[in-house]
Amino acid sequence: MNDPIKTGLAKGWRHIDAATLTEDQQFEADVVIIGTGAGGGMTAEILTQAGLSVIMLEQGALWSSSDFRQQERWAYPHLYQDGAGRKTKDQAIAILQGRTVGGSTTVNWTTSIRTPKPTLDYWQAEFGLDFSAEHSLEPYFAKAAGRLHISEWQVPPNPNNAALKRGCENLGWQYTVIERNVHGCANLGYCGMGCPLNAKQSMLVTTIPAALEAGALLVSRVSARQFQWRGEHILQLDAVPVDQHYQPTPSVKLRFKARHYVLAGGAINSPALLLRSKVPNPSGRLGKHTYLHPSVISGALFRDAVSGHAGAPQSIYSDQFVWPKGDEAGFKLEVPPVHPVLMASKLTGMAELHAGMMQKFNHLQVMIALLRDGFHPDAQGGEVQLDADGEPVVDYPLTDYLWRGVQQAYLAMAELQFAAGAEAVMPVHQDAMLYSSWQQAKTAIAGLPLKTYRAALASAHVMGGCNMSADAAKGVVDANGSHYQLQNLSVIDGSVLPSSLGANPQLTLYALAWRNADVLAARLRG
Amino acid sequence: MQRRQFIMLGLAAGATLATGLTLYPMFSEADKTQQQQNASLVLDALLPAILLGALPKTEAEQQQALQSTRQAVLDYLPFLPKRQQAELQQLFFLLSQQLTRLALTGHLLALGELSLEQRLQLLSSWRDSYLTLLQQAYNGLRELLLAAYYGQPAHWQALAYTAPEFRAYE
Repeated sequence: MNDPIKTGLAKGWRHIDAATLTEDQQFEADVVIIGTGAGGGMTAEILTQAGLSVIMLEQGALWSSSDFRQQERWAYPHLYQDGAGRKTKDQAIAILQGRTVGGSTTVNWTTSIRTPKPTLDYWQAEFGLDFSAEHSLEPYFAKAAGRLHISEWQVPPNPNNAALKRGCENLGWQYTVIERNVHGCANLGYCGMGCPLNAKQSMLVTTIPAALEAGALLVSRVSARQFQWRGEHILQLDAVPVDQHYQPTPSVKLRFKARHYVLAGGAINSPALLLRSKVPNPSGRLGKHTYLHPSVISGALFRDAVSGHAGAPQSIYSDQFVWPKGDEAGFKLEVPPVHPVLMASKLTGMAELHAGMMQKFNHLQVMIALLRDGFHPDAQGGEVQLDADGEPVVDYPLTDYLWRGVQQAYLAMAELQFAAGAEAVMPVHQDAMLYSSWQQAKTAIAGLPLKTYRAALASAHVMGGCNMSADAAKGVVDANGSHYQLQNLSVIDGSVLPSSLGANPQLTLYALAWRNADVLAARLRG
Repeated sequence: MQRRQFIMLGLAAGATLATGLTLYPMFSEADKTQQQQNASLVLDALLPAILLGALPKTEAEQQQALQSTRQAVLDYLPFLPKRQQAELQQLFFLLSQQLTRLALTGHLLALGELSLEQRLQLLSSWRDSYLTLLQQAYNGLRELLLAAYYGQPAHWQALAYTAPEFRAYE
């Protein structure tokens, strides 16, 4: 099967696996980009095509389609941050985030949604950010859609998504058919383990190959440790290789020098690098206001097979509850792919109870509700801190306000699942059981303790920590991603978002990256 | 044991777990073998309990499933952040030492000498403990062990799950 990465490397693309280096080394380019996900990948293509020399750094390895195997036991340790074992400081929320060339775009579920208007309005009101009229992101959404083949999914939804659609239809709730960044998709359902067919238009198969083709250098398995800076300028970036388990290891010292540095390590690793580097932080917001879309889970049993592992993982969502009229926490309704490890680790219980549920695996329909954090005084997100090894850990307090959202989400998902024809519903909560009617579920959910560790919570979207703002007093970077204190630093990734989005982030990040990389290219060529 | 004593010991163990820095230096490269032994001891005791109802039917198949799952856990641990690895190693260490094991389990017997029912009761007591660290231990171990078991294609038959293969994997 064709593997464009292997083909490109064979014809001379420049790639260095830092783990194989045996001597200290210094690298120089016009621009060094740290991170190869949605922000870094998009920026790399635009800057190389503007004629700038570019080095891309990635902590993960350069895995590509012929390496991917459709097994979670391989994909999680090799393609995800912390082996997919990343969690908040108190271990209450599991965080799924990519760590491989292409970042989370290599392992995401392809859902592509434009930034919701109420989110942009909130940014304008709170942070003075103007994305209207001539500053609109619309042209960049269109460009990204063209570049990445983003279009509405024409294939009928798999039964897991169809249940979401049917429930909405029966209740008169809003739903939308999802746009996906795929080209030649075989509807397999393994997006989360790396697309074996190169159908998903991730950064790995689009912008990064384009940058390499134009002469960029990719350094994989490298961990950016610290910026050396003086006054208003970064002088160099110090880095080390990672070992076979992706742990930073000081076997050799690597030094990267550039006119300009683009930080694109994602909303946890980007603030962590700046915190390790002790850069100026007069707004006090660096590493603060980290948003997760904390997600609540509900399982349901259907008479007919659901086989939630097969078919496009996400093709329907419902925004029925994402923008409520009152000030309660809104949430977006989606479904996840249902694979054995993801389910076994998230389903509550153990021994016979757990085994019994797993034996009904193919009849299990699963819903998730993504809480829209960051829009309310009682949902101001978490904080990136550094542990004794200098590695990031997110301290995310779950407030009463969010817990009320959790409860509302359990109720909405159970109501929807029964409306879609479920025989039984089980909120994924330590104290929940299988409920056989909506009335029974409603009463039981009202009594579920709203406490850490009782409710299973997960996140696949990390946002904030280097937020943009028109006012330097309220942000780390400006609307173009330029750092307010360091002149030759831009941040182009999910960390610039000043709130959560209320939508899956990738398309917002592609558009913002395209726009801000254009601005940066003009400035550097200037 | 008196409930009061148990609580005091529980708090002592909790404090030991909480002050990770005091134990951290003990876990150097030289102790890798000892760490693996502690981990294996605990995993071998907890896996048959957590996987009750999931394990295959015959004794021989069960043994194979337990061994391969223990190995899968040990192979996965180095991918976790060092901080999380150290926390787990501490838990394995404490559960393999007589005094702290008594504090954490309320039993004089080693974990492996308890009945499966007692091991499950122990895990449930951690789940419902008022000590955050024990709740974290329950959640962390439960996820780790179940993920390791269901990650193996050999255990997918009960789920009627198969995954596409585009070439031979191993």
